[in-house]
Amino acid sequence: MPPIMNPPSSSRIKVRPAAEREGRKDYISIRDFGFYYGEKKALDAISLDIPERQVVAFIGPSGCGKSTLLRNLNRMNDLVDGIRHEGDITINGRSIYDPGLEVISLRRRVGMVFQKSNPFPKSIFENVVYALRVVGVRDRAVLEEACETSLRKAALWDEVKDRLDDSALGLSGGQMQRLCIARAIANRPEILLMDEPCSALDPIATGKIEELIHELKEQFTIVIVTHSMQQAARVSDRTAFFYLGKQIEYDTTEKIFMNPTQAQTEAYISGRFG
Amino acid sequence: MGRLIRFGGVGVVLAVFGMLAFLVFQVFPLFVGAKVSPASALTVPADAVAFGEDEYGEMPFVVRRDGSILCLRSKGGAKVLEWAPSLGDRRVTSVRSYPRTGLVFLGLSDGSVQEVRVVYRSSFDAAGKRTIEPVVTALEPVPVGRAGLPCLDVWNAKGPQSRLMVVRQDEGGKPLLTAVRLTERRGLGGRGKVTVSPPFVVAADAPSVEQVLLPSTAESLIVVGRSGEVRTYADDGTTFSFLQSFFPFKEAADPAVASAGLIFGNVSVVFVDKAGAQQVWSMYPQLQPDGRSLRRWGKIHDGEKLPGAGQGIYAAESNKCYLAVAGGRLQLTNMTTGTVRWEGEAPAADIRQVAFAGNYDRFTALSADGKLHRWSVVDHHPESSWKTFFGKIWYEGATGPAYSWQSSAGSDEFEPKYSLVPLFYGTVKGTFYALLFALPIALTAAIYVSQFLRPEYRQVVKPVMEIMASLPSVVLGFLAGLWLAPLVDPRLVSLFCAIGILAPAALFAGFLWSVLPQPVRRQVRPGMEFLWLLPFLALCVWGAWQAGPAIESLCFTVKDSASGLPIADFREWWRQTTGETYDSRNSLVVGFVMGFAVIPIVFTIAEDALSNVPNSLVSGSLALGASRWQTVWSVVVPTAISGIVSAVMIGFGRAIGETMIVVMATGNTAVMDTNPFSGMRTLSANIAVELPEAAAGHTHYRALFLGACCLFLLTFVINTLAEVLRQRLRERYKVV
Repeated sequence: MPPIMNPPSSSRIKVRPAAEREGRKDYISIRDFGFYYGEKKALDAISLDIPERQVVAFIGPSGCGKSTLLRNLNRMNDLVDGIRHEGDITINGRSIYDPGLEVISLRRRVGMVFQKSNPFPKSIFENVVYALRVVGVRDRAVLEEACETSLRKAALWDEVKDRLDDSALGLSGGQMQRLCIARAIANRPEILLMDEPCSALDPIATGKIEELIHELKEQFTIVIVTHSMQQAARVSDRTAFFYLGKQIEYDTTEKIFMNPTQAQTEAYISGRFG
Repeated sequence: MGRLIRFGGVGVVLAVFGMLAFLVFQVFPLFVGAKVSPASALTVPADAVAFGEDEYGEMPFVVRRDGSILCLRSKGGAKVLEWAPSLGDRRVTSVRSYPRTGLVFLGLSDGSVQEVRVVYRSSFDAAGKRTIEPVVTALEPVPVGRAGLPCLDVWNAKGPQSRLMVVRQDEGGKPLLTAVRLTERRGLGGRGKVTVSPPFVVAADAPSVEQVLLPSTAESLIVVGRSGEVRTYADDGTTFSFLQSFFPFKEAADPAVASAGLIFGNVSVVFVDKAGAQQVWSMYPQLQPDGRSLRRWGKIHDGEKLPGAGQGIYAAESNKCYLAVAGGRLQLTNMTTGTVRWEGEAPAADIRQVAFAGNYDRFTALSADGKLHRWSVVDHHPESSWKTFFGKIWYEGATGPAYSWQSSAGSDEFEPKYSLVPLFYGTVKGTFYALLFALPIALTAAIYVSQFLRPEYRQVVKPVMEIMASLPSVVLGFLAGLWLAPLVDPRLVSLFCAIGILAPAALFAGFLWSVLPQPVRRQVRPGMEFLWLLPFLALCVWGAWQAGPAIESLCFTVKDSASGLPIADFREWWRQTTGETYDSRNSLVVGFVMGFAVIPIVFTIAEDALSNVPNSLVSGSLALGASRWQTVWSVVVPTAISGIVSAVMIGFGRAIGETMIVVMATGNTAVMDTNPFSGMRTLSANIAVELPEAAAGHTHYRALFLGACCLFLLTFVINTLAEVLRQRLRERYKVV
């Protein structure tokens, strides 16, 4: 079984060969995935493949299971009591439920940005380099470089470069969310999960985040859960529509929005329910 | 509703301030000086040389140079009684009166002494009005001195077995001190026969006699010579043998002693030199060149400088105050603390005698110009000063200045010792050991329960801990003193081993867990790992407890002082190695049990604070690949730090104020040492133990309130600091 996780080294961020980039092979593969909270079935027989370095949006009305599926990709649901799953999820060919796989190393490869920005009550600098600190990086120069790189990628560097030692809690809502993105990409994960990252933001901040997603796509595979169909249409390459724990339709974004095969999809995107 | 809440809040604030005000009100009189106000003077014959008074000072009497006694009413000065001795051809050559007992001794020209007793008989008329009537009784003269030589001075003192009378005569320019003992055998029928011993010479080796001090117990004799030499003699059963000689003012330009006086209690003497320098000497155990420790005279205080040469030292009759007459000034000083209670102008240049009333509410002075001056004294707490409560004081009989607390003793003559310092020390010591034990357990337990334990167990653990907080501390104290201390006492090494093994054993268990293969670990649900840890810990603790005696015999074997055989006993080893004491009810036991009282409070508050850290922060940290432990240390604990600080401070406040555990589980000795195996007395325990025995309004009572005040301020300051710290931390780690 090939290892899905690369060691935290610089080798991984080298520009990959063009052939591989063009390959667009299926990177995350979800097969017949069912998920239960106790007796309640939250997800039913989900099967979809997410190609490398693309943006995939999960849409659907509240309670459809899109967030649950997202949180399963880095096993954040493990903390919940009485959960059970069936089927399998593989990343780069290796099951995330492999008993030999430490959940911590999985999460280091699969970064996550939450609906509500959650900066730690620390300085901006400490927030960004948190993921590096937990793997034991002590070298100040390395930390500073990673901090600057991440903040630049998150388009926040120019706004905060003079106050890196100030508390992160002094930032505006949009800045905080971009800080959380910077924090999530600081340790160079392969996949970035975004759980309604813009739902608490104003249109300008939302615009900046969306721009950011476009740029980050060059390096990361991004899965985004959103309530806004416009957003899904704007940022994603592929879109999956869920309803009542079932996967209704999964296709290219263009296809889903222009020419859905399922009536429910059509009804949802045209705003008739949800 | 809002009004009700406002009323309640304001009421609480007022109640706290009211309590503080009450404490301050109780304590304030301690720091008020003496109030001395002169009353009208009474004119008496100019040749009056001595005087005495009744208990209320209503009817003083004076003794004139010829030995006749004149009794006057203090209001108006009307004569009540006149009495003259009938001595035949003998003359009165010296007079001494003891104002408190009404005894007057007349030294006669032939060397004998006549004792005259002035007794006040009080009677009540039909309306209940008291009238007093003086009665003068003269006894037969007793030959004391060498026959034919006039008595120049006379002293009297009542020892435990016999009475001592001493006279000073002049034999060809050399002073001669002669004494007799009068032993009274009391029969069943009342007054018995008095037998007089043959006269014996005392202090024959003294080159000169300026002043003789005879303690009222007649145990010793102090002779002050012209050169400033002080020679002391001790009663050896038959005569007085020489004890010690010293020069109080050896270094002064003029070493002569201008005046000297015994202080109430008869173990301290105040000396004043010609320049007004004061010294207090007392008897205390001193190491002699031959290695023995004997009670000898030594200087214990340097008094405040007086404005001129000492003219007289007159001691109060119920406390350690004395009035010094020097340079035309009167100075009322407390001997123990050296504080001047009052200072005033002397009414006349030459003061012949001063006497305090028995209850220290007035004093009277007879001046050479035929006036009896009187002052009333309001000084309820003569022994109190800042130094009494917070300073080092050299008490009578002690070998050096010390902080000590001893509020009562067998007699009224002792110096009460009210230093709060040993009590502060005991409070801090008890708190330290309690927190040393409680904080690591409470805080780590809070972290574990809030972050790692499964919620269903958490719901059990938390209420149980809260029930533990409601355990009455008197029960804990009872358990500590009567069950735990005797249990732990012989197995101390086992206990240390058991406590010492806990942390390494837990870490080792964690290590074993981490090397177990994943599939095995998967069998245990997250949060249930303690099921594996607990038996392991129990096994380690049991093993350590069992290994205790072996370790004790290996490391702590000493030679038994009684039998000379080697024994394995940590207590004996501690005593012999450190020279410190070992008490069964010691600071460690108190700390251990007080820790139990503190743990639930600290745990509950800290657990709440940790549980209140938003889940989004925990998720954020976990999603970044942090382990749960890293999440706890770098996100949860810093975010909850203000609550944790509160928990620690509230635990601290609880430990400081804890009373019953300390009262019951220690010996309550106000000692100051760092030894963990000795007891202590805390401020709160001190109040609990002594307040029922303190007389309301007495210095002791107010000193206890001062302790309460200090405790109040201590907790107030600590809580305020904690709140400031908490606010700052909250500002720093506030969560959006």
